[in-house]
Amino acid sequence: MLAFLRKNQILLSSCFCLLLSLYILTAAARGQLKNDPIGPMLLWIMRPLQIAAQSTMNWIQDIQDSYSMLTGYKSENEKLRKRIQQLEIERNQLLEAEATNQRLQQLLEFRSRLPSGSVTASVIADSASSWFKSCLLDKGSADGVRKGMAVVTPLGVVGQVVAVTGRTAKVLLLTDANSGVDVLVQRTRARGIVSGSLDNGTTLKYVKRSEDIQEGDRLVTSGLDGIFPKGIMVGTVIKVRKQTLGLFQYIEIMPAVSLTRTEEVLIVRADANQQKN
Amino acid sequence: MKLSLSFFVVGVLLVLLQTTFLHLFPVGPVVPDLILVLCVYWGLYHPTVGAALGSFLLGYSVDVVSSPILGLNAFAMSLVFLAVYLSSRSIWLHHPVVSSIVVLMASLVKGAALILVWTVFLSVDGFWTGAIRYILMEALVAAVLAPLVFALLRRGQAYLEEIRVTA
Repeated sequence: MLAFLRKNQILLSSCFCLLLSLYILTAAARGQLKNDPIGPMLLWIMRPLQIAAQSTMNWIQDIQDSYSMLTGYKSENEKLRKRIQQLEIERNQLLEAEATNQRLQQLLEFRSRLPSGSVTASVIADSASSWFKSCLLDKGSADGVRKGMAVVTPLGVVGQVVAVTGRTAKVLLLTDANSGVDVLVQRTRARGIVSGSLDNGTTLKYVKRSEDIQEGDRLVTSGLDGIFPKGIMVGTVIKVRKQTLGLFQYIEIMPAVSLTRTEEVLIVRADANQQKN
Repeated sequence: MKLSLSFFVVGVLLVLLQTTFLHLFPVGPVVPDLILVLCVYWGLYHPTVGAALGSFLLGYSVDVVSSPILGLNAFAMSLVFLAVYLSSRSIWLHHPVVSSIVVLMASLVKGAALILVWTVFLSVDGFWTGAIRYILMEALVAAVLAPLVFALLRRGQAYLEEIRVTA
């Protein structure tokens, strides 16, 4: 008997375990398992280990969550950064379009006051030499631009067309030493010629010493040169010096148009009557 | 005795792993059943009375920790150990794929035992449909992990036996 038990001890112990578990199952299913000595003991052994393992796992999970959160933030940040860049570009485009729109609207309003047949043009290049103050426009003879036509903006006189090709026109600016615009002092109606210079800026020439010219006086085109329509703003007097000798005063003016910042201009056809003169 | 105790400690650690860390790496809806792999290992390489009791206790500890009814896993694990022990006489394991197949079969036996006991004692409606998919997935995962766990257990066993011989 003992030999049989010893020989089949594993089989018997396995069967015993199976029967024991079936007994426990039955008792547990019927609710008769009141005293369970093994369960609490196992839990007693495992509880501290499980607490430690669980807290380690929570720690790992926290790191995992933080990492995925960080990568999420990173990609979101990247997306938002790109979006900001995109919006910034769009905003610039809109601002630029709005500014262009305003300028063109002013030009249109101004154009309606000028003799018919004016041409709108954009400045496409500035002077390549510091000796000359000129710019290049994107309209030429194909658009009806002719040599000698006046170039203006709603703010005032820009210059005069001095050379024309099929698609471009070169403009001699008011500030160039070779330019000359017949003007009137708005307050006193005294006449003179506005011209640029290499050293002294833009000046009003040929005004008699006896004329009453003051700083702040506004100059407008006289319309007598047959190039510029009458009454267009040319500039403001900023310095007046009556020399001890000579017939004329020295008058320095500030052009009404900032010529370096001009983008769109109107090329004004000379009035037929004026052209005849 | 020392070896059996060490195995039991390993078993407790596996229960710990299965109830905590392995939930970080779930394979679909199932958590790898390393305890089953250990019971199969015991049945194949360490068939002792201690191992039979160990299988029962490991199953029981799973019941204590997570089963709705006590004795469910204890019965399943004891059955797995007995089945593997009885069939171990005709299985000669010298390839990792074979160990995978044995674990796969053992896992199916465990699943069948659980379904049987569940149906008899708990009789939950619609249990079958979900259970079969679950059992198959669990069996596959256990089979895939078996060679690695077997290798680790063998190395540990060899180390302990070496210590015992030198002592």
